[in-house]
Amino acid sequence: MKGIMRFSVLAVLTAVLVLAGCGGGSQQATTGEPETIHIALTAPITGDWSEYGVNFRRSVEMGIDYLNANGGVLGRQLRLSVGDTGGSPQEAATLAQRWTSDPTIVAQIGSFSSSEAMAAQPIFDAEGMVQLSPTASHTDFAPGSDWSFGIVGTQAAEGPFMANFAYNDLGLRRIAVLHLNNDWGIDTARHFSDAFTRLGGEIVRTEFYFDGERDFTAVLTRLAATNADGFFMASFFNDGAAIARQKERIGWDVAFLGPSSLYSPQLIELGGTAVDGLKTNVSFFGDDPDPRIQAYVSEFQQRFNARPNFHAALAYDAIILLADAMERAGSTDRQAIRDALAQTKDFPGLTGSITFTPAGDAQKEYRRLWVNSGRFEIWEG
Amino acid sequence: MLAQQIINGITQGSLFALLAISFAIVYGTLRLVNFATGSLYMIGAYTSFYVVRHVSSNLFVSLAIAAVVGFVMGLILERLAFKSLRGVSRIASLICTIGFSLFLNELAAVIFGRETRVMPSVYTGTAFRIAGTNIIWLQVIMILVAGVIVIGLQLLLFKTKMGLSIRAVSLDYKTAGLMGINVDRTISFAFGLASACAGVAGVLAAFYYNSVFPVMGTLPGLKSFSAAVFGGLTSIPGAILGGYLLGVIENLAVQVISSGYRDIVGFIILVVFLLVRPRGLLGRKIPM
Repeated sequence: MKGIMRFSVLAVLTAVLVLAGCGGGSQQATTGEPETIHIALTAPITGDWSEYGVNFRRSVEMGIDYLNANGGVLGRQLRLSVGDTGGSPQEAATLAQRWTSDPTIVAQIGSFSSSEAMAAQPIFDAEGMVQLSPTASHTDFAPGSDWSFGIVGTQAAEGPFMANFAYNDLGLRRIAVLHLNNDWGIDTARHFSDAFTRLGGEIVRTEFYFDGERDFTAVLTRLAATNADGFFMASFFNDGAAIARQKERIGWDVAFLGPSSLYSPQLIELGGTAVDGLKTNVSFFGDDPDPRIQAYVSEFQQRFNARPNFHAALAYDAIILLADAMERAGSTDRQAIRDALAQTKDFPGLTGSITFTPAGDAQKEYRRLWVNSGRFEIWEG
Repeated sequence: MLAQQIINGITQGSLFALLAISFAIVYGTLRLVNFATGSLYMIGAYTSFYVVRHVSSNLFVSLAIAAVVGFVMGLILERLAFKSLRGVSRIASLICTIGFSLFLNELAAVIFGRETRVMPSVYTGTAFRIAGTNIIWLQVIMILVAGVIVIGLQLLLFKTKMGLSIRAVSLDYKTAGLMGINVDRTISFAFGLASACAGVAGVLAAFYYNSVFPVMGTLPGLKSFSAAVFGGLTSIPGAILGGYLLGVIENLAVQVISSGYRDIVGFIILVVFLLVRPRGLLGRKIPM
C-alpha cells in the first residue's frame, strides 16, 4: 500500500515536471514573433461597486480594441488581464502581488476606490510597476509613491470646487456633513469642510456611517435638528440614493450636494424622485456635444447597451494615456513607462486635459451638475 | 426630534423584534441559537423583490409569500442540518447554523448578484403627526404586522394543540416524546414558524429601506440576537421587548453620543447581559 502511494506521488511529480517543461518550451517558441504587450486591470467587477468595475473593464477593452485596430502600440498588439477585487482592499493587495510577480505585465490600471488603491500601493512601489488609477482621489494616494498616478484629480481640488458651488452659487451658509467612514470619505468630507469654512461658511455638524449601513434615519434626524441650510454627503451612489430617500421620508427638506461619486444613472434608479435637486460635479458629461465624446458614448452604447458614466470615461482615458506613454517611452520597460507617464503634459482626454503634478495627480476642470426631474443636467445657475 | 428618534427606533425595533422572536422560538424548543436567522431574513427580502417584479407590488402579497417561503426554508434547513445532529453535542448544531448562514449568503450572491437592487416605495404617505414628527403608513404597517404576529404566536402557543406540543417539547423533549407527542414534527413546525418570522422581517426591511442585497441580513441578525438575549432567549414577550428596546436605545445613542456608536451599543448590551443576567429581562432560568 505504502509502495503504491509512493509510486503514484512520484508519477504525479514527474507528470507535473514534464508539463512544466512543455510550458516553458512553448513560451520560448513565441518570442520569435512580435510579442504582445500585457497590461493588467484591477477593478471591483463584483460587489456593491460592480457598476463602476464593470464599466472600467468595458472602457479599457474598448480602448485596447481601438488601439489594436490602429496598429497597436510600438507595432505590437495589446492584451489585457482583469482581476476582480469585489471592492475589498485586501483583494486589491493580493492582485498587486499577482500582477507584479508576472514578468510579462508591464503596467497596471486600477483600482477603483482610494482604499483599494492605497492597500495595493506598497506592493507596486516595492516591485516597481505603474499603478494608474482612473478614480482614486485621496490626497495621499498619488504622492504616496513614485509609481502611483491618479487621473480623476484629488479631493484637494474637488472639495474647494464643491464648497464654492455651495457657498457662492447656491448661497448656503451652514452645512451638515455626513460621510462614509473610509479613507476616501474622511478625506472628501475634510477637504470640503475646510474649504467651506475658509469661504466663511459654517459646518454645523459632521457625522459618519460605516460601509454596509442601510438605516440612516437616526443620523439624518440628528442632522436635521441642526439649523443647517445645506447637506453634504460624501457617499457613493447606492448609499447616496438610500440617504436621499430616508432624508425625504423624515421630511428634512434642505439643499443637498455631494462629490462626483454620486454621478451614475443608478443613483436615479435607486433614489427615484428623492434625488431630485441633488447638486454634484463632473469633468465628463455624456450629453456634451464634443464630437470625440459623442463618438465614445455612441460606440459604448452600441457595444454594451448602456450609457457610459464619468468613471467609465476616466478608465478609457487611462488606457489611451498609458498607450501614449509607452509610445513616448519607445519601450515597454516598467521604469521607462513610469518616466514617460510622469512627463505627461496636456494630454487630451475625454475627461479634460491631463497634466500630472510632480506628485502624480492630474489637475482637472469640474463642471456643475444637478438632477432635474429624474435626469442629470449641467447646472446653469 | 426626540420623538422622531423614538419613532425611528420603534420602526427599526419591529424588525429586531421579529428576528428576536425567530431566535426565541428556535432557542425555546431546541436550545439552539440559529445564526442562519439573518440569512432567512435576506431570503425573505429577495422573495419580495421577485414577487414585486413578477406577481404583485402589493406589500401584503409579498408578506404572505415570503412567510410561506420562509416556513419551507425552515423545514428544509431543519431536515438537512439539524435533525441528523439532534442529540449530538449542541456545539455541532450551532456551528452548522453558522455554516448554513455563510452558504445561503454566498448562494444568494451567485444567484441574485452582489449588487444592491432597488425595491419600490409603498405606503409612503403620512399617516399622522405626533409632536411635529411625520409617521408614514409603512411604519404603522410594520408595527402592526409585528403586533399581529406576536398575538398570533401567543394564541398558537397557548390555545392550540400544536402550541401545547411546542411548549412540552421545549420543557423536556424526551419526556414529551414518551407522552406521545410527535417530537420530530413539533420541532420541524417550530423551526418553520421561526423562519417564517425572519422572512416576514426581511420583506418589511426590503420595503422600508427600498433595497435588497445578499449580506443585508448579517448585521440585523447579530443585533437581533443581542435583542433576544437582552429580552430573554426563552421568552417570546421578552424577545419583543428586547427588540423594541434595542431599536430605541440605538437610535437614541446616535442622538446623544454619535452615529459611530450605534452598533457598539447593541453589542455592549449583549455582553453585559450575558455576564450579569444571562436569562435576560423576561426569560426563565434554564438548567444548563
